[in-house]
Amino acid sequence: MAGLAIYLVFVFIAVFADQIATHNPTEILFTPDYDLASDIPPGQDGFILGTTSLGRDIFSQLVYGTQSALLIGLTAATMVAVIGTLVGLVAGYFGGVVDVILMRLADIAFGIPFLPFVIVLAAFLEPSIWNVVLAMALVLWRDSGRVIRSQVLTLRTRGYVEAARVAGSSDAKIVFRHIAPNVLPLSFLYGSIAIGWAILTEASISFLGFGDPETISWGTMLQDAYASQALSRGAYYWFIPPGICIILVVVAGFFISRGYEEILFPKLKS
Amino acid sequence: MTSLRYIGSRLAQLLFVLWAVATILFLLFRLMPGNPLAAYIDPTFTEEQQAALMARFGLDRPLWEQYFIYLANLLQGDLGQSFFYREPVGERVLALLPNTLVLTFTSLILAYSFGIVVGAYLAWTRGSIVERATIPLVLTTRAMPEFWLGMILLAVFSFSLGWFPAGGTRPPGSEYGSLLALYTSYDFLLHLTLPALTLAIYSLGLPLLLMRSNMLDVMAEDFVTMARIKGLSTWTVVVRHAARNALLPVTTSFAISVGYQIQGNVVVETVFSWPGLGRELVKAVSASDYPLAQGAFLMIALVVVIMNLIADLLYGVLDPRVSHA
Amino acid sequence: MSGEPLLSVSGLKVSYGMPHGRVTAVDDATFEVPRGAIVGVVGESGCGKTTVARALTRVMAGNARIDGGTARFDGPDILALSERAMNRLRWRDIAFIPQSAMNSLDPVYTVRAQLREVLRKRGGHSARSAEARAVELFEMVGIEAGRLSDYPHQFSGGMRQRAAIALALALEPKLVIADEPVTALDVIVQRQILDQLKTLQERLGLSVILVTHDISVVAYVCDRVVVMYAGRVAESGAMRTVLTEPQHPYTMGLCNAFPDLSGAMGILTPIEGSPPDLSDPPPACRFEPRCPFSLASCGERTPRLSTTDVSHRVACHRAGEAAELRGDAAKVETWAALA
Repeated sequence: MAGLAIYLVFVFIAVFADQIATHNPTEILFTPDYDLASDIPPGQDGFILGTTSLGRDIFSQLVYGTQSALLIGLTAATMVAVIGTLVGLVAGYFGGVVDVILMRLADIAFGIPFLPFVIVLAAFLEPSIWNVVLAMALVLWRDSGRVIRSQVLTLRTRGYVEAARVAGSSDAKIVFRHIAPNVLPLSFLYGSIAIGWAILTEASISFLGFGDPETISWGTMLQDAYASQALSRGAYYWFIPPGICIILVVVAGFFISRGYEEILFPKLKS
Repeated sequence: MTSLRYIGSRLAQLLFVLWAVATILFLLFRLMPGNPLAAYIDPTFTEEQQAALMARFGLDRPLWEQYFIYLANLLQGDLGQSFFYREPVGERVLALLPNTLVLTFTSLILAYSFGIVVGAYLAWTRGSIVERATIPLVLTTRAMPEFWLGMILLAVFSFSLGWFPAGGTRPPGSEYGSLLALYTSYDFLLHLTLPALTLAIYSLGLPLLLMRSNMLDVMAEDFVTMARIKGLSTWTVVVRHAARNALLPVTTSFAISVGYQIQGNVVVETVFSWPGLGRELVKAVSASDYPLAQGAFLMIALVVVIMNLIADLLYGVLDPRVSHA
Repeated sequence: MSGEPLLSVSGLKVSYGMPHGRVTAVDDATFEVPRGAIVGVVGESGCGKTTVARALTRVMAGNARIDGGTARFDGPDILALSERAMNRLRWRDIAFIPQSAMNSLDPVYTVRAQLREVLRKRGGHSARSAEARAVELFEMVGIEAGRLSDYPHQFSGGMRQRAAIALALALEPKLVIADEPVTALDVIVQRQILDQLKTLQERLGLSVILVTHDISVVAYVCDRVVVMYAGRVAESGAMRTVLTEPQHPYTMGLCNAFPDLSGAMGILTPIEGSPPDLSDPPPACRFEPRCPFSLASCGERTPRLSTTDVSHRVACHRAGEAAELRGDAAKVETWAALA
């Protein structure tokens, strides 16, 4: 419940960002005395969380950052869940050569260091928040795919599936009518964990400078703060809030589909 | 015999994965838009000079020929020349590897020692206030961007309190006779503390939660009850029987964590300017130094697949039910 | 088999904390274990027999609690001992043989390591004498000493159970509590293990509490028997007397249900119905709903365990008519009428 509540709040903020934000997040602001509004501490001159070194409003950036965070999180989660589920279903149900090929691909995906891969991909493509989504779609289906495959393998031997096959149901019908509904909770679980992963990865990539400089995200805010020496100046109001937002969204993701059980009770061998 | 065959097949799989990763990397870099030498070529270079350069890096040959040369070179451990440093990538990468490994192992040993003890304790005191307070805290560390944690530690302990240096592995201008001399110096320890602590806190969750959930399972086992009926001390029951059994999968996860950590190191090394593989990869990609980026990536991938293999094999060695089958 | 009993349990009451309140699993259990005797505690699953066994070790599930009663063991009441004092007694004086030796042996240590653990930590043996004793124990239970280096999973079910017996006898305890020691084994192995247990018990002069649901096991090795039903003792006494001249209708039914004990007729008659839900037990006699001989008073007054004849006690209002009832109890119709 707490997870859902946090999500609703963030979704609300993302949808009504225009109304909630006090300033344009990318606009360079000036004080009433026509000085550049740089490094203004929180609360002063109507800047709730102060301003960045370039005179941008931190609170408004935080509000707009919610949009990209949710956008990336949800699309990446959908991709990971859909691809993983399809791979698991196909490999598990049809077996044979298809299974061997898909599982060898999963082995390869397990051998690819994820973050370095995103970095290389980001350098190869135009800077964009979608690189993270693409990289996750290319690599992170491996976990959900493997787990769902083994689930399908056990489901396949169940009586009602056998019965459907004997009764002459088509493969497609058996897979989607009888097997898929039983693996959906797993897809959902991996999807909800992927939300957090995507947001964390986007933050890392932006922090390293491979993000889209045009898009406001919590990651680019942190990068900006780091590069502008906010740490040595003790400008905690700049770099603490984005981190807290990330934590809240990711933790809410754990709780929403009871994904925290997966995290609280990890199992190495399934 | 069967275990030998198993190791053999796992080794074959490892080689296959490495080959596939190397191929993917080759394709990524060769199909990249623009001249791969763009960063290397001075605008004043003449056509002939450019052509000579292309020839020197073998870029004038057909793609498939380049691919076989690349594979052949890889097999000989030749990772090519760095555009930027104008020196062999292999040497550079190997020189940085120890820094990354020291950081990774230090942080993981910290995380595992602490995580195992606390995880076992939390399981033993299930339902206590301590447990209820600790679990959300641990979940938070799992949800935290590790570089952000690093930034906070840096701001507080380095910039504000001045207890630790802000980055690097040694004070500027200092020289050490050997790596060992560096790694055993007090200065190095000071430099290591913050990045290692950052990674340790970040990676604490897995061993802690794994240990806790295994302990909870194991404590419900008959042999733990029997140990109590035998009148053995609480210490013997908890440590020698419950924890010893719960430890098996945790130990295995250490190897997986090494592989996992080494890719996550990228951001923390950057925050603390730690001269390791991850930071080098970031720098190389930013500077379009493709051979170096490729080399650093492959080295990281190598550590990942080797650690996954070790994790698999370790499981068999540590559990008598598997090793004495 | 004379003098003071080694253990005398009186009024033992144990309850479990459940989501909807406490459930009394053992209520007013009273019985004795004479020196050098095997006492069978028999009953259907859920009758509280295992709870009694575990209560005597005072190692129980987290939600279990001893609510009352005494258990005088060679003098002191072990239910009143401090945890420290109790721990000194465990295994040196009271050892335990569990139902599943597979799960009760630690999988990551060799059998030798587990024997040495109790010998050294609990028995004060030196490394050398522990090794000698381990070999001796293995010879005693009929396993080659070479197998000491094996891990539990490398043993067969019967060998594991023998190892569990060796472990229980390691410190020469006065009392061994065996909780369904042969249930998980096939019939032939069951017999071998029971023979072994009996032989060792006689040789070492042990007292044994043997918890089982199988009345043929009782008939095979026990000297005395305690029949439990729904958390209470229904009947107790010398094995032969109780099984051949049962006084409690439940015992009569139980004997009927086992072919090799039901006598010449060889009828096999089950007791209709199932044991009561202990969170809401019948108000008086707990067997009353299933009893073919119940009277109106059986639902009103709780029958107490008789004290007139300590060698054969029964908790039934109609115990005096037992001889006549036994005749009817042997007939299938008597029990079928209740169905």
